[in-house]
Amino acid sequence: MDRRLPPRPGEWIDRGRSVEFRFEGRTYRGFAGDVLASALWASDVRLLGRSFKYHRPRGLYSLAGHDANVMVEDGRRTNLRGDLLPIVPGLDARSVNTAGGLERDRLRFMEWFGRFLPVGFYYKAFHTPRLLFPFYENNMRKIAGLGRINPANTPDDSPKDYAFCDLLVVGAGPAGLAAAIAAGESGLRVLLVDERPRPGGSLAWQTGDSANGPRLEGLLARVRACGNIELRCGTQAGGWYADHWIALFDDRRLTKLRARATLVAAGCFEQPAVFRNNDLPGVMLGSAAQRLIHLYAVKPFDRAVVLAANGDGYRVALDLHAAGVDVAAVADLRREGEPTELARQVAEAGIPVHHGHGVGAAIPGAGKKRIRGATLCPLDSAGNPRTDRAQRVECDGIAMSVGWTPNGGLISQAGGRFVYAENVEQLVPSILPKGVFAAGRANGVFDLDDRIADGTRAGLAAAAHLACTDSSTNGTPPAGPERIVHRGPPPSHPFPIFADKGKKNFVDLDEDLHLADFANAHQEGYDNVELLKRFTTVGMGPSQGKLSNVNAVRILARLNGASINDTGTTTSRPFHQPVSLELLAGRRFHPLRRTPIDPWHARMSAVMMHVGDWLRPEYYPREGRSRDVCIHDEAANVRRNVGLIDVGTLGKLRIDGPDAAAFLERIYTGRFGKQAVGSLRYGLACDETGVIIEDGIIARLADDRFYVSATTSGVAEFFREMQRWALIWGMDVRLSNSTGQLAAMNVAGPHSREALHELTQTDLSPEAFPYLGVREGTVAGAPAILLRVGFVGELGYEVHVPASYGLHVWQSLVGAGERFSIQPFGVEAQRLLRLEKGHLIVGQDTDALTTPDEADVAWAIGKGKPFFVGMRSLEIVRKRPLSRRLVGLTFANGTPLPEECHLIIAEGEIAGRITSIAPNSTLGHPIAMAFVRPDLAEPGTAVRIRLDDGTFSEGRVAKLPFYDPESARQR
Amino acid sequence: MPHRLLKFALRKDHPEPRMFRAPARLEDEYDAVIIGGGGHGLAAAYHLAKDHGITNVAVLEKGYLGGGGTGRNTAIIRSNYLTPEGVNFYQASVELFQDLSRELDLNLFYSERGHFTLAHSPASLRTQRWRAEVNKHLGIESEVVGPEFIQKTVPEIDLRVGGHQAPICGALYHPPGAIARHDAVAWGYARGADRKGVEIHQQTAVTGIELRDGEVAGVHTDKGFVKTRKVLSAVAGWTTHITAMIGLRTPLVIHPLQALVTEPLKPWLNSIVVSASLHLYVSQSSRGELVAGASLDPYELISMRSTLDFAEQLGGHLLDLFPCLGDVKVLRQWAGLCDMTPDFSPIMGTTPIKGFYIDAGWGTWGFKATPICGKTMAYTLAHDRDHELIAPFNLSRFGRFELVGEKGAASVGH
Amino acid sequence: MKIIHCPINGPRPLQEFRFGGELRTMPDPAAASDAEWADYVFNRRGEPGVKREWWCHVPSGTWFIAERDNRTDEFLRTFLHGAGRADG
Repeated sequence: MDRRLPPRPGEWIDRGRSVEFRFEGRTYRGFAGDVLASALWASDVRLLGRSFKYHRPRGLYSLAGHDANVMVEDGRRTNLRGDLLPIVPGLDARSVNTAGGLERDRLRFMEWFGRFLPVGFYYKAFHTPRLLFPFYENNMRKIAGLGRINPANTPDDSPKDYAFCDLLVVGAGPAGLAAAIAAGESGLRVLLVDERPRPGGSLAWQTGDSANGPRLEGLLARVRACGNIELRCGTQAGGWYADHWIALFDDRRLTKLRARATLVAAGCFEQPAVFRNNDLPGVMLGSAAQRLIHLYAVKPFDRAVVLAANGDGYRVALDLHAAGVDVAAVADLRREGEPTELARQVAEAGIPVHHGHGVGAAIPGAGKKRIRGATLCPLDSAGNPRTDRAQRVECDGIAMSVGWTPNGGLISQAGGRFVYAENVEQLVPSILPKGVFAAGRANGVFDLDDRIADGTRAGLAAAAHLACTDSSTNGTPPAGPERIVHRGPPPSHPFPIFADKGKKNFVDLDEDLHLADFANAHQEGYDNVELLKRFTTVGMGPSQGKLSNVNAVRILARLNGASINDTGTTTSRPFHQPVSLELLAGRRFHPLRRTPIDPWHARMSAVMMHVGDWLRPEYYPREGRSRDVCIHDEAANVRRNVGLIDVGTLGKLRIDGPDAAAFLERIYTGRFGKQAVGSLRYGLACDETGVIIEDGIIARLADDRFYVSATTSGVAEFFREMQRWALIWGMDVRLSNSTGQLAAMNVAGPHSREALHELTQTDLSPEAFPYLGVREGTVAGAPAILLRVGFVGELGYEVHVPASYGLHVWQSLVGAGERFSIQPFGVEAQRLLRLEKGHLIVGQDTDALTTPDEADVAWAIGKGKPFFVGMRSLEIVRKRPLSRRLVGLTFANGTPLPEECHLIIAEGEIAGRITSIAPNSTLGHPIAMAFVRPDLAEPGTAVRIRLDDGTFSEGRVAKLPFYDPESARQR
Repeated sequence: MPHRLLKFALRKDHPEPRMFRAPARLEDEYDAVIIGGGGHGLAAAYHLAKDHGITNVAVLEKGYLGGGGTGRNTAIIRSNYLTPEGVNFYQASVELFQDLSRELDLNLFYSERGHFTLAHSPASLRTQRWRAEVNKHLGIESEVVGPEFIQKTVPEIDLRVGGHQAPICGALYHPPGAIARHDAVAWGYARGADRKGVEIHQQTAVTGIELRDGEVAGVHTDKGFVKTRKVLSAVAGWTTHITAMIGLRTPLVIHPLQALVTEPLKPWLNSIVVSASLHLYVSQSSRGELVAGASLDPYELISMRSTLDFAEQLGGHLLDLFPCLGDVKVLRQWAGLCDMTPDFSPIMGTTPIKGFYIDAGWGTWGFKATPICGKTMAYTLAHDRDHELIAPFNLSRFGRFELVGEKGAASVGH
Repeated sequence: MKIIHCPINGPRPLQEFRFGGELRTMPDPAAASDAEWADYVFNRRGEPGVKREWWCHVPSGTWFIAERDNRTDEFLRTFLHGAGRADG
């Protein structure tokens, strides 16, 4: 049966574009502009989903994006809302969370067990015996949950956008349009967003008056005419964050908006009534019926009952009547009925109106997949339905118009407060934070003319606020027009909740919570709003309580005998509507740093490793050789001939100025005041607690000029701390971080001098340029700093040149070293070489609590210094005995070897751990560094290290360094 | 179906009594006052009554039960810490947790899922091995596993992390790693304490602590003054409010920690997955929601606002790890407060002020310690002496420069 | 995202800044007792209220002092180190 109505002005469907789609395996047709739910309803499909717990049939309910029971998957994506999902050709939708399809869902039997499963039942059972719980949990998990994840899905990497405006207006209904016009015409740059595909808000569907179409057009024309209002539809303001930073989501991207003020004119969510079977297909909000008629031109029902507590309900009855629906009755919860003109119009249409009546129950048809009637009950003086005087009315639909609640999540997120106002029987904003404004129904204003006026008022108030901010007079904005106060009867009923005892009267459709659940939870002591929410899970489902929190609070307030204001509400958190991870993630930028030598590494097919943001060559693979062999060979070539390593990721700092030496003496543990120009010293730095945080080389280029290296991963933070200390100490130093501006390479090995010789004018002779010397000169034509360092334990030169020269200098060195068998070496070979030399790596051989004494580098602390960072703390630490010490270990060949961080065990206790190990050292036997208990630190002591399989390896404590203890080779 | 559910079907009324009473007014005097009606405070009250027979106890909660960290954390329970003192403490907690549903007769949904701490670099893998070795030494199930094992257990994970970052080279795997229904832990302890005579006062805020001669003499509240000689502060992110009342200096600073939850999904992720490099941890609740969080917010704040940066970054990192989640929708984001210490270990036990006991420094790891905190803090109050399990965590360690070495483990400590 | 006013660079988004902890005065290391020194090193004024804190604008390397309410996250004012005493 086709329920589509004749074309009507303002409809959102494009009748020229028919769309074929599939739902639950059957083919249907709708029009472009339809959402899945409207297209199915137009085809007289009413069973659109199953509920979460009982698998009860559910249909179209809000048609406003809150129909959490109408969730489908389309083969790629899951948990798509039927009342938001546009139909497109080829759409093949299936309901989520059914066993064997929507019609024959095998889980519908869950409802028969409802009596066994009251609220929180799962807390009361299944936990004993303990061994059975995993079985129960597995089954519960399978039954819970909605859609299935599609493991083959890949994310869209949509770019994010940024936007800026003076005023964001949320909601392009009458209040929002008026606000945007007022603000825009005052000169503000206004961004007006609406989550629906077209503007107009309730003007497009609610107020049936034929004058409204032109009225909306008139407002839109003024918006268009004003050059500084941008209108974005299909865009939700998902969340408000500090300083008017607002997340706007459309179906393609996240736009991060910086506004200077925010105006919320997002209207209200219509609230359902609670009665028996109020969840079945055919029972819907009045606004849903109106949206069906006006936006999608679908006749909601054939014969309807309207449950009303406000004029909106009468409007629904008239709209249904005009759409050809036989309106069997209007049940008005109010004894006095509707005081306005609408009452007369309804009477003239011949619609019977029952004052002081409610709906006792919806009467289900076969399989509960439709309703076939309703019982109308007079209400007693306490507002309870008199079921004994129930009157049965045949109908296939019940439209509920009993009240509203503001869509004010953004206001709460901005720090605003709401208070329950009895003149409207709903929450209204009571405190609006600076720069946040509210208008229209979200502000408790309901009459259409009032809403437009309230929008204008709020728009002008925003303009005045911003003008005030601009002029920085710090005055309060001039008081705008008086706030508009709702006149007439409240648009919401104070308690539209009717118990049919022992039956299911639903409060939260997402979570399948009914009235008895609340009374039971309250009886168990969950008697404040947060405990109630957490115990019952009300409001925690996909629609986040937009259609249930208000009734839950009303129920709780009544159970507690308290007012709504004393009962409170739960907090609204982002997002307004659920947001996909791919929109939040966007394109996902991953910063990656490469040294200037990177193209050469790539040509050599170097295996690269991530070190912080940097990529460094781990080793250079060679045909037919294993990784370990390659690394060993690289290291051996440094020992035997000459090797070249890219050390461009090292931190490179310049410390200049009259106080430079004094500054370094305070930062580092060592002494630098008397350091000769042209020489290097080792620098060790601690934090204020005396823990090692950094080490590097301090090169004195001139009396007032130092060049300092720092660790790859630590330099950024360390440099920032240097900057701060310089400020605190008020020292005359200039600090600059040249890490990215300079390339750096280390040419090391017995032939390094010869390899470098022909590329530089600098005298490399040992006399002119001794070990631990620094020279400024040129290398291969590039201005260079040359440092004679010994990290790998061989004669070697670090060459630091401007980054733009880096590749050229590297290639020149490779060329010049060719006849000396120069080979590149990577990070792994360097680690091995430095281990042989007994040099520690901060962060690997030290941890978050290691002091210089523990790491056996106390020699780097200058004696008798008045101050360095960490010094005073070390004095305190040194009063207690050392608890561990960093030592060398050697292993006999053939011994099963530990890995780094295997533990040393003595007398059954943890007595240390391996920090670094080299199974294939160039020394011919395995070596390691380890922390050991001080009583085990004597060279020659045998220590036992437990391996993965629980067996032990034995090593022997050795004096460091392992290699060339006299440092003869590097001199 | 368990027979316990039968009673619901057979009785016309709802046969469940109140979980906890709502005492009308504060008494004049208590043997002990516990500030904070979260898991820790309620567990301490429960154990004071159960283990030490001290029942004249008031728990004062300015909001509602479990409304702080207890109800805001991501409910992960594990004991694979780095230091022996940490491991022993949390293992004692895990052991209490494993039997807690039975003890409190409330199903806490204690669900052992297995816990992966992913390593994206050799350095990180080294730290995981360190943890594994210390764990194994102390009898904890914990081991370093390779990428193949991770892929087999969590098939949808992208070990290449999208190809633009360091790939996953292994993980610390802790089979007993579990999640639980966090709110229920507070309710269960509340009921247990209440049944033993403890009074629980919600919506009762402490406004001051009365000291006489440097000793605790009573507590001022917005409902009046009560005399007591023992006060336990168990308020985690609100601790600095309390310590400021008595001028007690501590290293505590408060940072927000944010989390988010997705729409419910069919069971997909069984394990708990943590990546310190990606600042990410994620698990799937029994209801089917993915619950995910990141590292601490980078600056001090005693406010539970949400940020968009957090949601964007976490969304990105989730997709780096699980590309199939692109269409999965986030329902809600929220924040809790973390009271951080310099050594990522709690501050527990006696203080320089006689009669004032502290249970703080819970950072991001407070939930998993709930049962053992209750037990050890109750002991400490009853004997005026630190329980041996918490001796390393006494506030005095900072004055001695004897910090706990837990910081080396990970910046994401869940 | 919050906006912070760097005294040198003006209003910039939070992500460009690094928090540097509370502004503390180092006692004279030679005169301070061990207990006083430990208090300086470890203890913080973590309680709610308006705090003086270090912040760094990272791209420009500008350290400055902010007065911020740690309950509301409101920056009351920002100024360069040493410039704070002059005006209130």
